[in-house]
Amino acid sequence: MPLENHSQTDRRRFLKATGAVGAAGLAGLAGCTGGGSNGSGTPTINILTWEEYADLKDEIESNLDVNVQFTKSTSSSKMFSSWQAGQDTQYDIAVPNNNYVPKMMDAGLVDTVPKDVISNYGDVYDTFQGFASNQFTQDGSLYGVPIRFGWYGYSYNSDTVPDHEQSYEALFDPQYTGADLSGKLIMYDDHFKAMSAAALYLGYSDAFEGAKITLSKDQISKVKQTMIDQKDILQGYIAADPTYIKSFKQGNFALGQSGRNEIVELWTEGVDSATMATPKEGSLAWFESAVVSKKSDHKDMAWKVINQFIAPKLGAKLAKAGYSPSCNPKTQQNLTDHENEMYGSIDPSRLQNMIPFKAVENEDAWITAWEDVKSA
Amino acid sequence: MAPDPQSSSGLAADVRVLLRDTRVRLGLTVGPSVIWLALLLLAPLTFVVTVSFLQVNDAYQVVWQHASLANYQALFAGDGPFWTTSFFRSLVLSYKIAATTTIVCLALAFPMAYLLATHSGRVFKIVIFLVLLPFFTMYLVRAYSWYLMFGPHGVINATLLNLGITDSPLALFGYGQGAVVVGLVHAYFPYMLLSLYASLDGVDFTLVEAARDLGAGKIGALKDVVIPLTLPGIISGALFVFVPSLGAFVTPRFLAQGKIQMIGQLIEERINTLYAIDYGSAASMFIVLTIVVLFLLAFRYVSIEDLGGI
Repeated sequence: MPLENHSQTDRRRFLKATGAVGAAGLAGLAGCTGGGSNGSGTPTINILTWEEYADLKDEIESNLDVNVQFTKSTSSSKMFSSWQAGQDTQYDIAVPNNNYVPKMMDAGLVDTVPKDVISNYGDVYDTFQGFASNQFTQDGSLYGVPIRFGWYGYSYNSDTVPDHEQSYEALFDPQYTGADLSGKLIMYDDHFKAMSAAALYLGYSDAFEGAKITLSKDQISKVKQTMIDQKDILQGYIAADPTYIKSFKQGNFALGQSGRNEIVELWTEGVDSATMATPKEGSLAWFESAVVSKKSDHKDMAWKVINQFIAPKLGAKLAKAGYSPSCNPKTQQNLTDHENEMYGSIDPSRLQNMIPFKAVENEDAWITAWEDVKSA
Repeated sequence: MAPDPQSSSGLAADVRVLLRDTRVRLGLTVGPSVIWLALLLLAPLTFVVTVSFLQVNDAYQVVWQHASLANYQALFAGDGPFWTTSFFRSLVLSYKIAATTTIVCLALAFPMAYLLATHSGRVFKIVIFLVLLPFFTMYLVRAYSWYLMFGPHGVINATLLNLGITDSPLALFGYGQGAVVVGLVHAYFPYMLLSLYASLDGVDFTLVEAARDLGAGKIGALKDVVIPLTLPGIISGALFVFVPSLGAFVTPRFLAQGKIQMIGQLIEERINTLYAIDYGSAASMFIVLTIVVLFLLAFRYVSIEDLGGI
């Protein structure tokens, strides 16, 4: 009976296909479980961090008896949420911005720093040791190690934007610089960076004085309205550094909120018209801080790897890869004069006039306001 | 040692006996799929439904007690009326963009599917190949390609400027809702085309000729004969385009440059920044409910068997 034969063939094919899909799925799931060592006894340290850190892989593996696996992340918030969702068992190390370390501490995700293992910590600028002590030290225990730093202000194309007194007003008033920049302005697609700039423009610098940034309900409401009004003159919100650089080169905007590292990268690519502005209201300074998961099976080795991030040679290589200075000044010995001028020997005393990234009080209200801006 | 033919034939006989049992046969055939669906669909869905009624505390932990509707209420809570909340506005915008994408896909795909159904041979194969060709590339790459095409100084505006057709970049080809619709139409057009083609391929076109012989005009024959016969294909294609467009995330991120916020982006922002999986779960479930209602409405006009388009 041909019909029955056909049905049997289909069933066999179905069983084969199901088996194959099941096997492939199990193989895939097996890959997800990860591994703490490669069978030869060499531990594997999994690191969730920014793209440039992967350049250090070979040196770290040759300096320490370890395999390191880097996974690229594009934001501190994603590092936090993925660890909170259970990936703190998959990764040993994450390197978020400093304002996310307290959140990770509150969530019980991170381990304390064994200062005896981080032998380079003593060389870190006092400024950053102080920030670390204020922002993520609890009961005398430190939870993160400062690695690199930088700051955000805004930048512009000097071919099309005239010199002007540097102020955040340039982002909110299209005529402020003397050129019509309507539709040629961009902001960061990040509630913290964008709303902080708006708050500083509105003169709420007092809110940035304490351990946390504290904007009142009324201030948040005014920040929101200012940003809603700003939408008409914006070209858009930019998500990440590479997007900023491509968009600048493409000429899609003339002036926009940006980090200094993006501008240094543009300079090294020969785009001399990119000009970094330091707004009179204050720039926002950040520093990345490495943390180790409480659930890591190789905590000691993980801290040794972090120690490499701020070692003089590797720290210099990292600074070069990301155009951002290391928190350890000894890295300057391994950079040329030109490199030091661009991103090596930036004296952190410059940060004293800047506003360090901090955790935000009442972040729910910030997010609600940000959503209102985006959906307006 | 050579295998014992008797014992191996005995094993085969045992297996045959075992396979005669309906439950064993069902277990072997349906079992793997059921396990797969239970682990990767049902379990996560159950988690999301459960969390949508719970709260996340200040230490970012789910509090597994005191179930309430608070998260659902929070979706529509704000300083003003519910229609001014970001959730409602994002939801309406997402529906608007998904509906526009579906209509454009239908308008573009129907004539093409009609031609493909009424003509065969080499041209048919080439067209199907060209339609499916972009699918051989990653979705992200396709979205990024559109990102380069749009923008004040993107490829489209730059070409128009270089050709002297305009003297300044056109807002029409800037980033925003229009660009998002274009990106989504490009992404989901084949789903609509293949659904419509499968439906139109089963139409007896002599009925169209009969309608014309009886005095129906071209539009009349299309309206009274072709469209009713292909309604299942239209509805299935519309669902295949509408549902993923509603939850689009990557395309608006690239092509709106943050100036609009679709519902998927709103949920992502909440979870990434606040780890508000309670709010995110409630928002997701609310969207699922609206889609279920859409499906129920669709099933009033076609049966589930017809949604294959055949």
